[in-house]
Amino acid sequence: MIKIRSLVKDFDGHCVLNGVNLDVAAGDIKVVMGASGCGKSTLLRCLNRLLDVTSGSIHFMGNDITHKDTDVRQLRQQIGFVFQQFALYRHLSVLDNVTLALRKLRGLSRADANEKASFELEKLAMIDHRHKYPAQISGGQKQRVAIARALAMDPSMIVFDEPTSALDPIMSREVAALIRTLNEERVTILCVTHDVALGKVLSDNVVFLDRGEVKAEASFDYLCHDHPDAEVRAFFGRGESR
Amino acid sequence: MMQGWHTFFMDLVEQMPLILHGVGNTILLGVTISVTGLIFGIVVFYLALSHNVIVRSCVKGYISFFTGMPLIVLLFLMYYGLPSWGVRLSPFVVSVIGFTMNIAAYNAAYLMSGYNSLDAAEIDAAKSQGFTPLQLFKWITLPQVLLLSVPALSNQVIRNIKDTSVAFLIQYTEFFARIQELAASNFQFFKAYFFAGVVYLLLVSLVVLMARWLERHIVIPGLHRTLDRQS
Repeated sequence: MIKIRSLVKDFDGHCVLNGVNLDVAAGDIKVVMGASGCGKSTLLRCLNRLLDVTSGSIHFMGNDITHKDTDVRQLRQQIGFVFQQFALYRHLSVLDNVTLALRKLRGLSRADANEKASFELEKLAMIDHRHKYPAQISGGQKQRVAIARALAMDPSMIVFDEPTSALDPIMSREVAALIRTLNEERVTILCVTHDVALGKVLSDNVVFLDRGEVKAEASFDYLCHDHPDAEVRAFFGRGESR
Repeated sequence: MMQGWHTFFMDLVEQMPLILHGVGNTILLGVTISVTGLIFGIVVFYLALSHNVIVRSCVKGYISFFTGMPLIVLLFLMYYGLPSWGVRLSPFVVSVIGFTMNIAAYNAAYLMSGYNSLDAAEIDAAKSQGFTPLQLFKWITLPQVLLLSVPALSNQVIRNIKDTSVAFLIQYTEFFARIQELAASNFQFFKAYFFAGVVYLLLVSLVVLMARWLERHIVIPGLHRTLDRQS
């Protein structure tokens, strides 16, 4: 579904992504891990063109989306994005957060949008909170609403940017379980995180990004115990005690 | 002393139709410039968010110019200056244009302050959903910025009502112009201006009550509690 080749992203001479190669197959769950500042979020932002790449290519469903003729709005509607800080629209109720794009971008009537949103909120156990506002619900609930908002658009895939970094351990486990459930329902997922415990729950196979380069792609156990680079072993070893 | 007040009130009653007409003109001008100033202020604010450096610089220049220039200078320039270029406008039209330019600059500055307190992640979220810049502004940015700016915008409306008195200097017959006429006819200046002060106080109190009601009822549920906790 996604094929990233030699991706470079440079900010005024500071190279954040330096020749990244990455593949995500349809229905797959891919976890990209790395320390803060290694370029994980930049990678996701390049993927839905919130940032323009410096060089390299990103093929999404066969099309090079780095091309200037790419219909960026269409692309963005196909890739659901769940942000680190939830990024719910705080002036809108939970229900309206989910229906806004359905009504304004997809042209659904309010009744149809409400029906679709209610279905997603029901699935994520948030239907009873639909009339509340973001400031009135917990962090874990906000993350569920953010996921419902992404799912409501029937995206081809969902990308998660540090989905548990603003959550306590209990809520983190809930969200991790939720992401796994989504993937079991054949939703393609790309998740970037520095949370080793989350990475371990989500996938056996993880990509390790370091200073803008893919340093390793292997099983969690290999990266933790057998990888020749001590730095890599040390990074993944952090999750062992959890 | 009481005799003086009695005479004053007799004159006041006699001129009451003209004074009420003046109050009507004050309210008409106050409401008109508050609405046009808000609408034009929103347009200026939208342009201030442009990615185009030239547009942003022009907006910055506009705000600096009109917040820096005394309103009376602007009104005199348009009412007494433009006829030398062959452009003659009525006092009401000059007042509406002059006040609107001035108020829009202030309102745009208030809206920019509100915008700075928005969560940047929300803007990214809206972009990542596929909203166009105009849709993003209409459905995400503007509603929140307006809600956050209610206290500043309502204070501006109060200022607008008080500032309408300046329009009498370009022959617009609003309330203060009528009070001037009354004072000039009976030389009871203290009483006339005291009465004017009371009437302005009543008008402003009415706006304050409406503004406070608005501030209480148009809030983002739970948000102020969260902001209080954060501070």
